[in-house]
Amino acid sequence: MSEKKILEYDVLVVGGGISGGEAALNLANLNYKVLVVEKDLSLGGKMIALSKVFPTLDCAACITTPKVSEISRHPNITIMFSAEAKKIDKIGEHNFEAHVHQKPRYVNIEDCTACQLCEKACPVSVIDEYQQGLVGRKAAFIPFSIASPRAAAIDIINCTLCGACERVCPTGCIDFTQTDNDFIVKTKAVVVATGFNLFDPLKIPRYGYGKYKNVITSMQMERQLAPTRPFNTILRPGDGKMPDNIAYVLCTGSRDKSVGNPICSQVCCMYSIKQGQLLMGSLPMADVTIYYLHIRAFGKGFNEFYDQSKDMGVEFIKGKIGNITEKENGNLILRYEDIEEGKVKEAEHDMVVLSVGVMSNSEISDSFQGESLRLDDYGFINQNDILASPAETSIDGVFVAGTATGPMDIPDSILSAGAASAETTSYLRRASL
Amino acid sequence: MKKKIGVYVCHCGGNISDYVDVEKVRAEIEKDESVFLSKTTMFACADSNQKDMVTDIAEKQLDGAVVASCSPTLHLLTFSAVAERAGLNKYNYIHANIREQASWAHSDDKVGATEKAIQIVKAAVAKVKRSNALEPFRVAATNAVAVVGAGIAGLRSAIQLAESGAQVYLIEREFFVGGRVAQWDDLFVSKETGKELITRLYDKAMNHKNITLFTGAEIIENSGSVGNISLKVKIAPRHMKLDCNEGNLGKAIEVCPVVVPDKFNFNITTRKAIYHNFPGEYPQLPVIDIENCTRCGECEKVCENVDFSQKDEFLNIKVGSVLLATGFDPYEPKNDEFGYKTIDNVVTLPQFKRLVHYCDDKLVYKGKEVKNVAYIYCVGSRQVDGDNKYCSRYCCTATIHAAITAKKKYKDLYNFHFNRGIRTYGKQEVLYDESSRLGDIYLQSFEDHPPVVSKEGDKTIVTINDILTADKTLEVEADLVVLVTGMVPRQDNSIGSLLKIPRGRDNFFNEIHMKLRPVETVIDGVTIAGASQGPKNIMESMNSSLAAATKSFSLIASGELSLSPTIAKIDVDNCGWCGKCDDACPFSALTKTDVNGKLVAAVNESVCKGCGMCMPVCPSNAIELIGYTDNQIESMIDALVSTD
Repeated sequence: MSEKKILEYDVLVVGGGISGGEAALNLANLNYKVLVVEKDLSLGGKMIALSKVFPTLDCAACITTPKVSEISRHPNITIMFSAEAKKIDKIGEHNFEAHVHQKPRYVNIEDCTACQLCEKACPVSVIDEYQQGLVGRKAAFIPFSIASPRAAAIDIINCTLCGACERVCPTGCIDFTQTDNDFIVKTKAVVVATGFNLFDPLKIPRYGYGKYKNVITSMQMERQLAPTRPFNTILRPGDGKMPDNIAYVLCTGSRDKSVGNPICSQVCCMYSIKQGQLLMGSLPMADVTIYYLHIRAFGKGFNEFYDQSKDMGVEFIKGKIGNITEKENGNLILRYEDIEEGKVKEAEHDMVVLSVGVMSNSEISDSFQGESLRLDDYGFINQNDILASPAETSIDGVFVAGTATGPMDIPDSILSAGAASAETTSYLRRASL
Repeated sequence: MKKKIGVYVCHCGGNISDYVDVEKVRAEIEKDESVFLSKTTMFACADSNQKDMVTDIAEKQLDGAVVASCSPTLHLLTFSAVAERAGLNKYNYIHANIREQASWAHSDDKVGATEKAIQIVKAAVAKVKRSNALEPFRVAATNAVAVVGAGIAGLRSAIQLAESGAQVYLIEREFFVGGRVAQWDDLFVSKETGKELITRLYDKAMNHKNITLFTGAEIIENSGSVGNISLKVKIAPRHMKLDCNEGNLGKAIEVCPVVVPDKFNFNITTRKAIYHNFPGEYPQLPVIDIENCTRCGECEKVCENVDFSQKDEFLNIKVGSVLLATGFDPYEPKNDEFGYKTIDNVVTLPQFKRLVHYCDDKLVYKGKEVKNVAYIYCVGSRQVDGDNKYCSRYCCTATIHAAITAKKKYKDLYNFHFNRGIRTYGKQEVLYDESSRLGDIYLQSFEDHPPVVSKEGDKTIVTINDILTADKTLEVEADLVVLVTGMVPRQDNSIGSLLKIPRGRDNFFNEIHMKLRPVETVIDGVTIAGASQGPKNIMESMNSSLAAATKSFSLIASGELSLSPTIAKIDVDNCGWCGKCDDACPFSALTKTDVNGKLVAAVNESVCKGCGMCMPVCPSNAIELIGYTDNQIESMIDALVSTD
């Protein structure tokens, strides 16, 4: 293996979602040199994939893209895509050494014009993760239309190396000779902003996800409602019909000890209410029913937004779903306890959306092999001094931002990123004093 | 006039192109011979397109650019920055809004929406033809921040700003720091009490050389603008000399004959006119409540440190930014709201927490031991009839935490929670779970059918139609009814009015963008932290105060600010100083000046915001707004109403 390149920065930010991006921007604006390590092909994390955001109904793409371009063009910020911090050692105060591994993209970003000719030429079709598996993509592909950077990449696992993309590329930017890169990053502080994972509904077989095609996740619905949506309308996957009676199952994977997650995911009530409102707009004739335990409309403007959805005609039923079965026509029967009436009932819907919860994504803690990065009871990064310095972790000099600390919505993530950058600033200034 | 203008018409995914024929807009604009290049784009704001624009402008040497897309509040800055990166002065970029003003507004009329979009873009092209390159004004920024409020959010912001290297004036209206958190014992997710947390922060703040604390202090005047804000602070006296002897102070308090309700304990106890909030509070010096003091002089006789000669002091300070951490008021229930003040054993949640603080072995209220506690949630929040439609966010968790604390402290205590759907979001859920396991009873009322508190003989009964038992009517005999009062905005909004901070529909301070800019306000240089922006728990207030400190500091960190050049400009030849512009200016940016023996108006460049209020009142049309000249605006109007 070739010798590892050594890079030096003031701060290493792990994760280029909205929290990592905000923390990086704050620090870069104070003139610190920042490296953002992002494991995916684009900045923007989960937020850039959303449709509209509650309770303002701002288009997520419209407010995320300027933030993302601000990050990518900031002179004090360097971004590494397809990259992971495999090992982070604390050598001493203000002295960390991170081993960053970067997978090849097989495309030279600077030369790619995103003309999409490679996509057309590529014969390999696979599931499009960004569109949540609703449609396919090619093995030579642009991750999504508003990706930053907007440049092609080769999915080398699925690529057959037929060379079709290379032949049609007008700028010759496809390069199969690219190899893995390893860097040693010397940095004074680390910000962990690795975000969250969505709950995998296959873990609750009684809801029928993966078995019944018209049972989808809320993220799949999110994609169907977004401006860059795959079908340009709402369709149920089973037969491509427009649904007119949609059910939401809240707390899928949250507040549920049977799947090992006792806590509330904090955002599902609100995003489901938002989707309900958006569906009322997209499918004016459709009925939307939300099955809930408690509606957690707690943030600024949330309760008013919840009231508004009731006024628009979204129906709310306080009830826990027992199981879901499929009829021959693809419709679904929900068996549930109607708490207000104290009865077990059944209801038929033609599409069911599982409001999946927020799970920890803390693999990064494995990278800290010396001093350990402690996790809390739910697998999120532990906040060492939660009421006075909420970004502080078990390691001095490592700070945490956004949903890496636990479930939260976008404004709370921005505040948390603000706290992480503030505490990082204090730590860095201690080095210079 | 420009001849090489580039025009980009955005689809905005479909937000625009679903209703506006963007290709037709482009084709119409292309006909203008000053338009050198015209394109449509799926997302003009996407990074790849921004790069294309930079290349176009630089390579084709465009002299003006227009993007027809969404509202300028979203993306004007984005595309101005694109122009700058391409070497085009950003004032030669003009933004045309064909989403909010055309596609969204006329989604029922595609032809009409398209026509309107064409006119809007033509107007923007007309303006850019007449635009000029402008350079920002640069002014020095003062490396100091005024933090208003020394509760938990203010203390933490002050520490952060000081550690970042700014001078901090911490201005507290009360005589003691710590705000609401100082009033609490055990806190959720911590082994610390509120007092201990405040002590920790206070010590840290007072040990930092950059922080100056003023208590009994209020900002009464404000002038200047971001980077250079002058504030006048009024400091009320404590009527106590420094360096007191603790022993004599105790005597002074003892001899004071005036007894008033103690606000620190939400009036469930009393205090003297000379008082501390609690032993060891900060600053550790009592104060004389001069409004209630009768000047009997008893305290002076036993304590040499009492000093009635102290007067209000006034101080002028200069700061680069102001951070507001002014907190909230607890909702004060109306008379007879759930029996408040009419039934003898009805208290609020803050009163209950202070009561638990004072009762050691038994929970006793008004001489009677309390066994059954009924908590009534959402008092003053989520009102069906009242104005407070919002949820106060912290109260479900705070109540459950208080109930668990009481249950663990006293034997045989039973908690009954009359709620409207428990909102223990996130990790707070485990507390709800714990309380259920401890045997607390939860009853949930229907939205429009709150529980009723009534007196039957000497018994206090709470009645509810309970959702959780399928609408059964249930009654609980309560020894104590606790009204779970929410957070309301400060009744006294004098600082908000002084600084002109807008408030949202919930009347808390409003941020500039709810999702992505939650601590900045429309007033440049003023940030908002903690519960002044909306209900928050302690951790959320901490995050918000640290975020606000970062934003305030980044304004002044470089020691220099660049200010917009789009401000008023006086035509000295035509001006004959009548003062009407001065009257109209909301920022006091215009002053009378002598130019070669003639009195004319002069614009203070760092104060003028370019709002244009002065222009229409000028009788001699001697004021132009740079970047929005009459010539430009008239040409836009012509383009908007032209029929060809």
